[in-house]
Amino acid sequence: MSTSTIAGFTPLRVPNASSSTPSTHIIYARLHSGSKKASRKGKEAVLPEGRTLFLVNVPPDATERELVLFFKHAGTVERVIFDGDSGDEQVENVEDEDDSDEDGEGEVEEEDAEAEEDSQPRKKRKTGKGAAKPTAPEVILLPPRPSRTFRKTGGTAHVIFTDDSSISRALAPSKKDRPWPTDPESPVGLAHYAALHASLRPPLDVVKAHADSYMELFDFEQAKKKQQSKYRKGEAIVDDDGFTLVTRGGAYGQTVGGGVGVASKKFQSEVRQGNGKRHRSKKDPQEKEAFYAFQIHEKKRNDLIELRQKWEEDKAKIEKLKSSRKFKPY
Amino acid sequence: MALERKRKRGQDPTPQKKQRIPTVFQTNEDDGSIHSDDDEPMPSGSSVGDEEEDETEDNAEAMLVETSKPSGSAIKRPPTALELRDIKDATDLYRSSSFKLQIDALLPNTRPKYQNSAPLDRFLESLHTCFNSLPSISPRHPLEAAKALLKQSVAVPYVLPLPGQDTNWKVGFEKPSEIVLAGSWANKLAVKGTDKQRYTVDLGVEIPSSLLQEKDYLNGRFFQKRAYFLSVLAAAIMDKKSGLHSEAVFSSPSGDSRLTCLVVRPKTGSNNDLTKLNVDVRIIPTLSASSPIPLHRLSPTKANIRTTASSEDASQDAPSPVYNNAIHVATTPKLQLLRSHTLKGLVSAYSDALTLLRIWANQRGYGRGSRLGIRGFESTGSLWTAVLDLLISGEDAGFRKSAKRKPLGKGVSSYQLFRAALDLLASHDFTQDHIRVRAETGHSFSPDDYPANNPVFVDATGVNVLSSVPSGSLDMLRYDARVTLDALNEDFTAQDPFKDAFLKDHREFQTRFDVVLRVDLSSAKLRTPSVQSTIEHGSLYNALLASLLSKLRQGLGDRAKAVVCLHSACEDRALTETDPAHSPVIYIGLILDIENAFRLVDHGPRADDPDPEAATRFRDFWGEKAELRRFKDGSIVESVVWDVKTSDERTKIPYFVAVHILAHHFSISDTDIQHWQDPFDATLRLPESITSIYQVAKAETGFKAAMAAFDGLVKSLKAVDEELPLGVLNVSPASEMLRYTNVFTPIAVPPSTPSLPECAQYLQPMEIVLEFEKSGRWPDDLRAIQKVKLALLERVASKLMESTPELRATVVVGDPVSTSDIMDTASLEIITPQGWAFTARIWHDREAKLLDTTIDDRPHIPAHIKRKLPGGPDPKSRQAALEAKELYVRRFIHAPRHHRAIAALCHRYTAYAGTVRLIKRWLASNWVLQKYLSVEAVELLSAVVFLGSARKASSSSQPPPIGVPGTKERGFAKVIELLAEWEWDKGIFIPLYGDEQTEADEVQKGSLDISGRDGVWKISTEFDPEGFVWTRDAPDAVMARRIQKIATATWKCLQNLESGDTPVMTMFWHPEQQYDFLIGLNAELLPRYYQNIRADPSVWDRKGKYANIGSTRETRSSPVQPGYDPAQLLFDDLSRIYKDTFLLFRDPLGGDRFGGVWEPRLKEPRPFKILGKFSATPVPKDSGKDKSQVMLNKEAILSEVERFGAGLITSITQRI
Repeated sequence: MSTSTIAGFTPLRVPNASSSTPSTHIIYARLHSGSKKASRKGKEAVLPEGRTLFLVNVPPDATERELVLFFKHAGTVERVIFDGDSGDEQVENVEDEDDSDEDGEGEVEEEDAEAEEDSQPRKKRKTGKGAAKPTAPEVILLPPRPSRTFRKTGGTAHVIFTDDSSISRALAPSKKDRPWPTDPESPVGLAHYAALHASLRPPLDVVKAHADSYMELFDFEQAKKKQQSKYRKGEAIVDDDGFTLVTRGGAYGQTVGGGVGVASKKFQSEVRQGNGKRHRSKKDPQEKEAFYAFQIHEKKRNDLIELRQKWEEDKAKIEKLKSSRKFKPY
Repeated sequence: MALERKRKRGQDPTPQKKQRIPTVFQTNEDDGSIHSDDDEPMPSGSSVGDEEEDETEDNAEAMLVETSKPSGSAIKRPPTALELRDIKDATDLYRSSSFKLQIDALLPNTRPKYQNSAPLDRFLESLHTCFNSLPSISPRHPLEAAKALLKQSVAVPYVLPLPGQDTNWKVGFEKPSEIVLAGSWANKLAVKGTDKQRYTVDLGVEIPSSLLQEKDYLNGRFFQKRAYFLSVLAAAIMDKKSGLHSEAVFSSPSGDSRLTCLVVRPKTGSNNDLTKLNVDVRIIPTLSASSPIPLHRLSPTKANIRTTASSEDASQDAPSPVYNNAIHVATTPKLQLLRSHTLKGLVSAYSDALTLLRIWANQRGYGRGSRLGIRGFESTGSLWTAVLDLLISGEDAGFRKSAKRKPLGKGVSSYQLFRAALDLLASHDFTQDHIRVRAETGHSFSPDDYPANNPVFVDATGVNVLSSVPSGSLDMLRYDARVTLDALNEDFTAQDPFKDAFLKDHREFQTRFDVVLRVDLSSAKLRTPSVQSTIEHGSLYNALLASLLSKLRQGLGDRAKAVVCLHSACEDRALTETDPAHSPVIYIGLILDIENAFRLVDHGPRADDPDPEAATRFRDFWGEKAELRRFKDGSIVESVVWDVKTSDERTKIPYFVAVHILAHHFSISDTDIQHWQDPFDATLRLPESITSIYQVAKAETGFKAAMAAFDGLVKSLKAVDEELPLGVLNVSPASEMLRYTNVFTPIAVPPSTPSLPECAQYLQPMEIVLEFEKSGRWPDDLRAIQKVKLALLERVASKLMESTPELRATVVVGDPVSTSDIMDTASLEIITPQGWAFTARIWHDREAKLLDTTIDDRPHIPAHIKRKLPGGPDPKSRQAALEAKELYVRRFIHAPRHHRAIAALCHRYTAYAGTVRLIKRWLASNWVLQKYLSVEAVELLSAVVFLGSARKASSSSQPPPIGVPGTKERGFAKVIELLAEWEWDKGIFIPLYGDEQTEADEVQKGSLDISGRDGVWKISTEFDPEGFVWTRDAPDAVMARRIQKIATATWKCLQNLESGDTPVMTMFWHPEQQYDFLIGLNAELLPRYYQNIRADPSVWDRKGKYANIGSTRETRSSPVQPGYDPAQLLFDDLSRIYKDTFLLFRDPLGGDRFGGVWEPRLKEPRPFKILGKFSATPVPKDSGKDKSQVMLNKEAILSEVERFGAGLITSITQRI
């Protein structure tokens, strides 16, 4: 049992007794220290310094429950956040959960976060949210996927304890290596794949209920957005400084709210590609070629030079091939 | 210093050369210490202040001009008149300048070094003295003479009919009447032979007329005298007293002992050592023009072989053109020498053109080589000169009223002459259309003398240079010339044909012939042996081959474009051997005519044929196979029917025909004929015990059945159309199984199938794409669209199940790996009552626009401005959108289009589908398919050997171009060769869509973001000019090299196939020792295991061993799970988790093993990093290394892997 640290990390040994050959997985642990950059208010709240343990090389299939069990001897774990980069969204998540009053905009971002959020079934959160709003229709869930997800190896995690004192206990060298606790509820291996295959094929009525309820919610959100939107039919959008926003979307090629015409997409793309020949198309090319004798002469000369250049290039190419002995036929 | 600092500015006329300024100076300039120098008056009139501003800039400019000058000025100058002429010549006379330069580079490499020929001259001189000093030997009985020579250990190579005791003619010797240096060496026209063969210096030694008699043309008497003459010379050379220090061997070109000559090679180390020059001296006895043998007796119509006892009966003997020609040839060496000398003087490009032609021919096996060559071309040096002679001198009008071929101009280039020669060879059928070169002296024989249906090409000396060349070999020559000519006619910019024409060895069997048979002739017997034909062809072996080839040609008829016999060149033999040794093994190569090759019935004469003999001949030819049949149109015709059971067998018909003829006419049994199609077929077939289960269940099988099932599904979809919220507009297939290119023939698993073993339950679903009519009711949000798709699929599923009772449909709500909610993941899984599985997806074109907006919401702002602007899409959702877009483009735009093109290709080229299937099987069994190489990329690459890689429109109405593989084995070999040699960094273009209109808009729609790709294979088509749709992420450079390596190994293996020792299977067995660790899976639990290339039947035959296990398996909830392959899921998961730790490989077709290779960068300990991306363990303390170093924790990783694959993985073995 090594007590030495590596680059400030304490290696925690996790023996694997169940496999055919005994081996030891190493988790590197350190007290979480906030980023030196202007630490934001939210970040602080999510990863409270002092009681957050930062782990590197968490087993790829670790679940929150397994980590909680693993650190049970040190104290109670409040939350586990996998793969630090999803921390930002996590922040918002937490905040959102705190105050259930959120607007429609948040919804979209929220879902992004959930895509990243691995440890929990995808749609679960949404219901919670949907339920929080008194008026919003509820989304009926698809059956959850098997809860175990596999992250890339060598991943990181933040374990937030309820108590500061747990950290030292967690980092303290222990007499005996603690084995990795396995969560029996989320199977691995063949059983996992069988369950996954089955869970992706729910009964038809569930699918229908889910899709319908989702669309109801979607329509509801759309309607809400519409209500909140500043735009009213027939009125141009004017910002605080008094500028009218010219944006496509009105009828007959006019701006939203009408009044001003908007350039068509075709026109825009033509301009972008540089072939907006509208003005020049009628005129002749500006300069006549081969009009003066010197032009003819120059053109001929350039042609010859070009010819020679190509010849020289070819020659060089063949020389190169020759040196690589390519011309020995057999 | 200051004087040097002249300025270019203003009116300064100083030449640029003087503007050189040392760099040191420039750097000093700023510190002002030299500044005072500037105050000195300048030669130029510009003010000082002005200068200071521009100083650095000007200096830099001057430097720039200076450095770029040397190369620039040479090119910028217009070419001189001389150079211009060269360039113009090159482009006009040689088609392209690089072609001309390449020819110039090639030619010196193929010519001997004449300047070193002094030792040769000395040696020839001593030979000359030696021969001239030989004493005469008085005529004596041939056997007696032979006995005398045998004492000097030289045998006399008498020819058939061998002299007996009762022969009444005698052989003698006198010194040669003339010794001439003949052949290509004398004219400096020698061309290097293939396989490091030596140059030959032909020495014509004239047999004195006094030794010959008029009647010597009869019964090979001339040849006996020639043989004795040669043996005496041989004995003289071997005689130690001669002082020549040489070895001599007999050599018989084409195994014809009548043409035996003596090859003399001075011993190495002697003062005559010629090894440096790399030449052999060949002594050829010749016949003087004034010999007693009358020329008219050598006409092809004359019968000079008397098989009947009485010589009066001459009229009954058949003409002996081959025999006569062999005598005639003896007169030619000197004449040919003179002729080619004249031509060389006449046309300056003659020598170069001849060299090109001979290199071309050598590369294709038309000549002597140590590898197998095409029969009939071992001693045809005179053919090539005759071809050029014909082009230069024109055709003699003997064979038809007016000569068609006018002489070419004298000023042609070597390339033009070469092309004209190819054109002649490609377009002229020497068998049907006899031709002869115009000769000043006229020809001795009448054109009618030459036998019809035999190749005839009479050169200027009056000899038929093709007399011993089988017509099948000429067909091959014509075919090869056609192929090269086509390549030369193609656009030069696409691919340089030079390499293909001259530098590449084209003698590989497997890529050259559609069908190759290896025949052991040792037990072959002629059905009707004849003494006359034996003597006519010089030996029994040659007679047998001649008959064999003509019979095969006749039997195969229009099925084959060329029937070629190949065998190794007849080796030189020691002087003690009288007869040339023949290799008993020959190879027969067929080039098939795809349109006719697989015809089931051969028609013979009609029953009411006016010629009663016709039917008899037909029956005699085909033996018991011939039968009288009545056909649908009422005609009764003699015919041969080849009955085949499967489509595999149908492609073997040409082989059956050949085998039947060989057995019927030459009693060559099956065991003596080797053929490589069966083992290739076996790789594409499922094990017998599995197919029998399907047969019992009466499962539908075959591509046709799968397509019918698809049509059925489309029909039932259209039937429920009314009840769906949106009408179904289009259903497009996008599956290998619906375009003939799936490795295995599709099999349905009907519900009635008796329980399949678990390792054979895999049912592959077929991907189809549903397109609904446009509607404004789709939401304008990516996530909502995915949900609407779910709703739509649910409707389709329930309606389908209502309308078709036994059909099962399930909505698959997601993808096992991806959790993205904007990606198209929803699909509909349909299992038809017959047991076919489909996966349907919905194509909604609005998605593309929405994704584009997410990726780049302000496309109208140029990128460089946008970078400075705040905002923009958040990188994470942009990434997700990019991924979704890639999937969308590939799945909905490219896949259906690709499917249509490939399906069309399969219809056009019968061998294409088989080729693709073999290649896929090969790639899969070598553990690279799927993950490292998409099946679509394989299909595209395989198309190259059929379509060529040139940018030319080919429409389906045109006949398939020449050179297209006719069987899948040849296609396979060609693709392997391509993979082994392809320089993938250059990319490849495939005219897959041909005449389809490509619109810029269409291309735009299907364009893919290829920045940051890993793939290196650029395979572009009309619709995909970027060329990375199917190879964006794989293979990367490492994998591409690996595939190339595997292909090279396989290519070597293919080249060895012809030896008959290497089984085909070796190419499909993957060596597993190369992996760092192997993960063994439980084969019994893998639904695809039965597809394994080495599937072990005992895995699924273990019935009754564990009765209880068997019963638990029966109670599985869903009997058929289309596409369910846990091994693949595990493989995908592992590859993803450990992407940066190891590379994982497997055979997607039922592989029961993963092979892993550790990332090489992780082999060494490295400092600990938080985002190290691998599972690390501290380096043990006692190793003395820095303690903050960590290393790969292999054991822990492998035990993790074992945990993830619990239930599937049986073993993990590490290589030590």
